[in-house]
Formats: sequence, structure tokens, C-alpha cells
Amino acid sequence: MSGHGFKSLFMAASVAGAALGCYLVSLNVASERAKLEGVEGRIVTTQNDIRLLQTEIGTRGRLAQLERWNAGFIRLSAPTADQFLEGGFQLATMVKPAPKAVIGAPVVLASAPVEQSVSRPAVTSDDQDAGVPRTAPAQAARPAPSAGDMLHVASYERPVAARAVAAVPTKPAAYKIVAMKGPKIASADALAPLPVAKPTAKAAPPGAPSTSGAATKKTKVSGQP
Amino acid sequence: MNAPTPALVAQPERLHLVGQRRQILAVMHQRLMFGMLVFAGVVALIAFRIIYLAAFGDHAGRKIGITSLIPERGDIVDRDGQALARTIDAWSISLHPSKVIGDKLALARTLAKLIPEFDAPAYFAMLRSDKPFFYLRRRAAPDVVEAINALGEPGLAIDREPDRLYPQTTLAAHVLGYTDIDGHGTSGVERAFDKQLSDPALRGVPVTLSISSKVQQALEHELFGAMTEFSAIGAAGVVMDIHTGEVIAMTSLPSYNPNVPGKNTPDQMFNRATLGVYELGSTFKPFTVGMAMDSGVVKSMGQVYNCPQELHVYGHIVHDTHPFGRACTVSEIMMESSNIGIAQIADKLGRDRQKAFLKKMGFLDKVGIELRERGRTLTPGSRWGPFEVMNVGFGQGIAVTPLHLATGYATLFNGGIYRPATILKVDANHKVGPGQRVFTEDTSYKMRALLRLVVMKGTGKHADAPGYRVGGKTGTAQKVIDGHYSKTVNITSFAGVFPMDEPRYAMVMMLDAPHATADTYGFTTAGWNAAPAFARTVSRIAPMLGIRPDKKREANMAEVLPFVHEKSEK
Repeated sequence: MSGHGFKSLFMAASVAGAALGCYLVSLNVASERAKLEGVEGRIVTTQNDIRLLQTEIGTRGRLAQLERWNAGFIRLSAPTADQFLEGGFQLATMVKPAPKAVIGAPVVLASAPVEQSVSRPAVTSDDQDAGVPRTAPAQAARPAPSAGDMLHVASYERPVAARAVAAVPTKPAAYKIVAMKGPKIASADALAPLPVAKPTAKAAPPGAPSTSGAATKKTKVSGQP
Repeated sequence: MNAPTPALVAQPERLHLVGQRRQILAVMHQRLMFGMLVFAGVVALIAFRIIYLAAFGDHAGRKIGITSLIPERGDIVDRDGQALARTIDAWSISLHPSKVIGDKLALARTLAKLIPEFDAPAYFAMLRSDKPFFYLRRRAAPDVVEAINALGEPGLAIDREPDRLYPQTTLAAHVLGYTDIDGHGTSGVERAFDKQLSDPALRGVPVTLSISSKVQQALEHELFGAMTEFSAIGAAGVVMDIHTGEVIAMTSLPSYNPNVPGKNTPDQMFNRATLGVYELGSTFKPFTVGMAMDSGVVKSMGQVYNCPQELHVYGHIVHDTHPFGRACTVSEIMMESSNIGIAQIADKLGRDRQKAFLKKMGFLDKVGIELRERGRTLTPGSRWGPFEVMNVGFGQGIAVTPLHLATGYATLFNGGIYRPATILKVDANHKVGPGQRVFTEDTSYKMRALLRLVVMKGTGKHADAPGYRVGGKTGTAQKVIDGHYSKTVNITSFAGVFPMDEPRYAMVMMLDAPHATADTYGFTTAGWNAAPAFARTVSRIAPMLGIRPDKKREANMAEVLPFVHEKSEK
């Protein structure tokens, strides 16, 4: 009986709850819609601002103003007929490739440590220190002072060790480099950092391990000169 | 139910009373029920309304009218989308004298300092007047607005109101026109397209003009340069796409600033390109030759005419500036701009054919363009006799606008089809009209070489922009002053087409009353002032228009060169 009596109450409560739920949903939707409209409104305001700014930029940078600047300072003029080319081919006919500047020097510098090993074959002759430099001091001065510099240092350190490795790299290039090096030049060379770097490297490896390490790098260097 | 039970023994009157009461009670119940139902109905109605509003109604914070960006008046943009006219919100400062609370004298002094349009006494008079409202400044700069705001005077009101702004100021001023205080167009495109620009349904889309700002600027600059150099009182210029009739640039100098229309003189406002009509002189000669070729009067560029020192006809004498004094070919006549030669060609052509051609080219009517400022052409009218035919043949006795001339050149060189000029960009929404054939294609083709010859060897040498294959014709006409032809004051013009091997653009430049300078050796003829300006302009605008200069290309000169005697070359 009591259950039956409460049934209507439950019914009323559930109806009220459902109505409330529906209302809340609609309220939620309304508030979302309001937010959306707010965003839309902001977009429009921003667009309006952009438009205003564009107008201002356009006004400040109006063509008459640019023309005045051009007449007063920049002084650009219309291109003449000869400044127009028919294409890449015609352009190519007009350009003579400039002779490449001797920019090899800094590259060689970077790989300086390798040079020592390359020079090794030459080093054999370096035993008599004085003899080698005499062969080509004058040539070395001009073409690649840095290379000569490095080679010189290398030859100094490895009189003994180098001889052992000498047989490995018998590349003609290596010989050339040796010829170029000049001890005097090296000392007078303006490129300071290298000479500094070398002594440290040299000091450590008097024996075989250093040479092997040098040999791997050497291949790279030999290509460059 | 609650009614008292009648006594078992009751008097009849009492019984009667009880019945009455029951009846009354029943009525009362009925009424109560009815009232309750009404009440419940009202409550239900309100509840339903609330629910309905909650579900479908607008909420209180809804902002109306800013969900889309539609300007108060439509924008006007050029063919590349550059804004030429825009409506923005500008600050306006106004005064309500009755609301002023501070010291009026001090306020007047401050105002005179901040807004120097009036002096302090004038402001003081305003502050003391009975009028409710004064505009102190419209379109005020932000710093002034800030300063006024800082005064904190309730009598000074700062509002935002839509205002028409022309960002490029004087650029294409005559094309754009301007608006009045109510925001309606009073001239130019603003007037011609006023409906479209103010219609809420249409104004969201800008009106796209055929004008190219860059070309317009170049034309205005070069034309202004020439006008200043030769101390001319005015100038006009038109650049036109000959295949579509689009006006790429059109200017009239002196120009004005549409942002402040009130400060401009009537002379500045006058549109010389579409409203002013001028006798443009020899620039007409190509039309006469074209008509003659189409009509079979001139069969070849080598056709020979007798060109004496002066020609006596119909009781008048025709002169030449460079008389041949011998037989001359059509090519030479055009090259040296011989009035005597053209007069004879026009005479053979006859009045009727001349009129018919001019009619078809639109030269007898107002110029075909959307703008409202269009001048009425002046023709010999009823006095169009045989001598007038000759006169019109070399461009005298007929006054047309520079835009007419450009349209005519477009017609002559686009293959012979007349299309009215248009100020709107030609695209999917605005297609090219079919046009109306005036000249045959063959005539159009042959005229190319003839006009190129004028620039290569004739009177228009100074108009040659190297590489751009300019062809054209000089025109020097005596200006009519007080009803008489002036002997000293000229109107000079140059009408040309480029590139001549495949014509694409026609351009007309006109100078009103130019003076001689040392560089022109005392000449005031078109070859010395309009032509060099033309060359400078072409070399500037042609690359913008996508024409590549090429010194190896040329019109087919074999049409005319064999008929030019070398000795006539000076």
C-alpha cells in the first residue's frame, strides 16, 4: 500500500527530474551558443581591426609616397630592354666563370693532423733536417703556406716512427706535399692555431698507435692537394 | 458531502433552505474549479513559454549585427585587389554647448590650441551660442581625440562614425570620385555604382575596377612630370587593353584628393579624360587612312598622291608643317603627318562613309564607359560639307575625349572590333562584349606597320621606347580660345599602341597648352613633349603589363618601308 502510495510521488519526482534535465541541457546548449557567438563576434572584431590596420599600412605606404621616396632617395628606374634576357642560355653566354680563388688553404688547415702522416714518406729524408727544406723553400712560400707549415711540423716529430710507416702510403701526392713544406715558412706563418695544435698531438705519439690513427685520416687529406 | 444532514423532522421551509444551500455550494464548486483551471492554464502557458524560450529562444546576451563584416559602404578595389576606397570607422569630435560645465573661456582657448581650425573667440562664440550641436572635427586623428578626451568635458562628445577613406589619396581620383556627407557618391565610380555600393545585399563584395594601381601611378607620375616640365595647364592619359576595352589607367591632371573634396577647385575636379572634349589633331589621321583602306579608296601603302606646298580646295588653303612639294605615298603622308595628303584621302572617302565609320567607332556619341562624367562630342553637325570632311580627316573640327581616342585606337588595332571602354575588371562576372566590327582584320593588320613607321622614322621618333615596338601618332591641334584658334597655344597628344607586332595596349597622353623649353628647341608640337613622355611611360608600364622588351622583334615593316623615299627622312 505504502509503495503504491509513493508511486505517484516517484512519478512526479522522475517527471520533475526529467524536466529539469531537459532544461539543464537546453541551458547548456544556450550557453555554448552564447560562447560561440562571442567567439564569432571576436573574430569579426579582429577582422575589422585587421582591415583597419591594412588600411593604415596601405595609406602610409601608398604608391605616391613610394614614388616620392624613389625619386628622392632610392632612384630606381625602369629596366631597359637590354636588361631582359631570353633565358638561362643567354644569361650563360654573358657570364664568364670567375677563376676560383685559392680557398684551399683553410680546408687543408682543418685537416692538419692528417698531414703529418701523409708527410711520413717524406720524413725519411727528413732525417737530415736541413736537406729537405733546401729543395723547395721558394716554391712553398707562394702556393700553400699552410700546407707547408703542417708538413714541416710533422716531419720534425717523426724521424724514427715515420720511417716504419713510410712504406704504407706511397702516394705521389704525399711526395709533392713534402716538397712544398718549408720549415722556415712554417715558423713565419701567420696562421697561428695550427702550429699550436700540432705540438700537442706530436708530443703524445712517438710510436705506432698514433701513426695508425694518422693513416686513416691521411687518405682524406691526400686527395685535397 | 459536508452539508448538514436534514433533520428527520424538519419544517418544509427549512428543507427548502437546505436545498438552496446545496445548490449554492455546487455553483461555488463549479466556479472554483473553473477559476483553478484558468489559473492552471495561465501557469501552464507561462511554463510552456519559458520552456520554449529556453529551448529555441534567443538568450539575453545575444549580440545582433556583428556576426559578419559588412561595411557601411562597399569597398572599391583595383584589378589586383588593392583597396582604392574603403569605409572605416573614424573619430568625430562634436560640441554640445548646453552640456558644458567648465570655464567656457578657458575651454575655448584650449580648443583653439588643439583644433586650430578656428581661433579662441570663434570657439567662445560657439560655446555661448544656443545651437545644440557643432561638429568640431570629423575624421580626427587619435592624438587629438585623446587630448580632447583628457579634458573630461561632458560637453565635448567623441563618436565613431563611418567615413570614406581613399588610401591612395590622389591616385585615380577622377575614376573613383568621392562621396558627399551622407555617404552617397557624387562623381566617378562612387556615383556610377552608388546603388551597388550602398545596397546591404551587395556591398559585402567589393567593386573590382579594371584599373591597375601600379600602372595608374606610373602614368600619373610621368604625365605630371611632363606637365610640369612643359608648364602645361592640364593633362590627361588613358591606358586601355585593346582586346577587352578595360581601362587599365586613366588620369586627369591637375588631380585632387577625394579625401577632402571640399578643398578642391573645379579645375581639379574636371575630368579631362572623359568629360573634356578636344580637337586632337593628327592623331585622327590613322582613322582616316583606315577608313579609306576599308572602303577601297586606298589600296596600298604605296598609293601616290600629289602633295604640293599648299592645297587650295573648296575656298580654303590646307598647309603642311613639312610640305613635300612632290608626289608622296600614303606611307610618307602618315610618316610626316601631311595634312595635304590626308585631306585628299578624306575627300575621296566622302562625307557619308566618314560619318558612318565615326558613328560605328562611337565618336559621334558620348564615350562608352560606366562613368557618368561623359562629354558630348562636337562635330561639324549640319555644316558637314566637303571641306569639313577634309578637316575631320586630319582631326580638326571634331572634338572628342581622350578616352574616345583610346577606344578608337583599340578598335583600329584589335582586329577592327569596337568595344566600349569599361572601368570594371573583365572576369567571370563581367565578360567581354561581342563588340561590333568596324574595320576589316586586314586593315587592322596593315595599319600596324604604318604607325610603327611614324615612330621609327617620322614625327613620333621620341615616342620610341626601345624594345617595346611602340607605334603611334602625334597630334598637335591649335587650342580654341574665345572661339578662335590660337596661333601659339596648342593641345598636343600622342596616341599609340604597343607592342606593334602583336598589339595589346593602347595609350593616349594629352597635354593642354604646353610651353616650349630649351630641350625642345622652341617647339611646342606633340613630337617634342607628349611623345617623349609616352616613351618614358611605356618603358615603365610595359613590364608591369607583362610585355617583355625585345629588340629583335618588329612589326612587319615590309608593308610600308618600300614606299618611303629616303630623302624625305630628316
